[in-house]
Amino acid sequence: MSKDRYSRQSFLGADSEDLISRCTIGVPGLGGGGSHVIQQLAHIGFQRYVLYDHDLVEESNLNRLVGAALIDALAETPKLHLAKEMIYGLQPNASVQGFACKWQERPEPLRECQVVIGCVDSYKARQELEIACRRYLIHYIDIGMDVHGKEKPVIGGQIIQSSPGGLCMSCMGFLTDEKLAAEAARYGNAGHRPQVIWPNGVLASTAVGLAVDLVTNWTRSGRSHTYLAYDGNEGTVRESLTLRNLSIKNCPHFPDDELGDPVLVEL
Amino acid sequence: MRVHIKLTGALYANILRDLMRPHPFAAERVGFVFGRMGSLVDGSLILLTRYHSIPDDQYIEDHTVGARIGAEALTWAMQAVYHGRPAREGIFHIHLHGHRGETGMSETDQREIPRLIPGFQSVGRNAGHGIIILSLDHGSGWVWMPGVIEPAHVSRVSVIGAPIAVFERRRSE
Repeated sequence: MSKDRYSRQSFLGADSEDLISRCTIGVPGLGGGGSHVIQQLAHIGFQRYVLYDHDLVEESNLNRLVGAALIDALAETPKLHLAKEMIYGLQPNASVQGFACKWQERPEPLRECQVVIGCVDSYKARQELEIACRRYLIHYIDIGMDVHGKEKPVIGGQIIQSSPGGLCMSCMGFLTDEKLAAEAARYGNAGHRPQVIWPNGVLASTAVGLAVDLVTNWTRSGRSHTYLAYDGNEGTVRESLTLRNLSIKNCPHFPDDELGDPVLVEL
Repeated sequence: MRVHIKLTGALYANILRDLMRPHPFAAERVGFVFGRMGSLVDGSLILLTRYHSIPDDQYIEDHTVGARIGAEALTWAMQAVYHGRPAREGIFHIHLHGHRGETGMSETDQREIPRLIPGFQSVGRNAGHGIIILSLDHGSGWVWMPGVIEPAHVSRVSVIGAPIAVFERRRSE
């Protein structure tokens, strides 16, 4: 392979290729958001992946699933297979640990990651991923989109970085008891929310940008947390107003010593 | 057995800052860092929680070694292991070699530091204990898992900060 392969991203730093290749990155959810994420990570040069998705490609996925073709819907190709194909096509020497199940069924491989980009549907799933990432010291980057209203639809979304030691998604006002309770009242079913490809692309690209910055430090920003709000009607990504007005400085939800496998303490 | 150590960027910075401080007479500083265990498919994670800086007056003047700590510091460490038993929290002797790149145990390190481990194991039987040696831009470790006499060489140390740092073992010793 020519040395020119990463020449256009050399501004990321002289050692960026090495830093990127040593990072293990987890992606639970390989649908509309996750497929974009995987494609970009593989182009950038990530070599170590921990992937989860138990779904098969359906016709209703074809409006947004990057890498999927009509034949995949007919053949019911696993989304995991598409992700692996995408990675190996660009990075034939990559190490891909892929699991056709929910991450909770095989949690150990995820614990090795330095970064997890969560592409899951429900608040509960986000909460569970964030808890796991805090316990096993992993940067968690969450993406999600939704469309509100039928008369005059509004596309919204978020990109959140929740890092060990920094503010969490509850601190930042994204995860609330009300949202979790409302979802639980629907038996945890997030439902078939409207999904289109371009907001997923914006959200995934921004999340990948955050991940690359965490690994290479090319912006020197040293972010401990981030909450970016996407307005799909305006086509903007801005720092969330909630975060801007937040007075809290330290996360009370995840103490520094609550790490590792939970231990039963005899009373 | 594969062992992967993780710590936050803030803890890493705190440790480096402390270990880089000059001591009134010792040539280097040492400290203790605590770690909890996490299971992997084919190994273990050690997740570092907090750092203990050893006070200046708990060092013993001995110019045959870089740093020697006294009974008071060791008693404190044993008590800390005892109190960490319910959470299976282990203790790690940590110090800094002032060069860049991968580092290992010096002859003095090999002779002196592993002698502490059986004591830690006898108090905290269910925790992993060990040794961590940092360089200016790398880190190495040796972990004695519960009930094990020989240490496992740490394969990877991940600093989960902004930026992330991943120190991987390349040496074979």
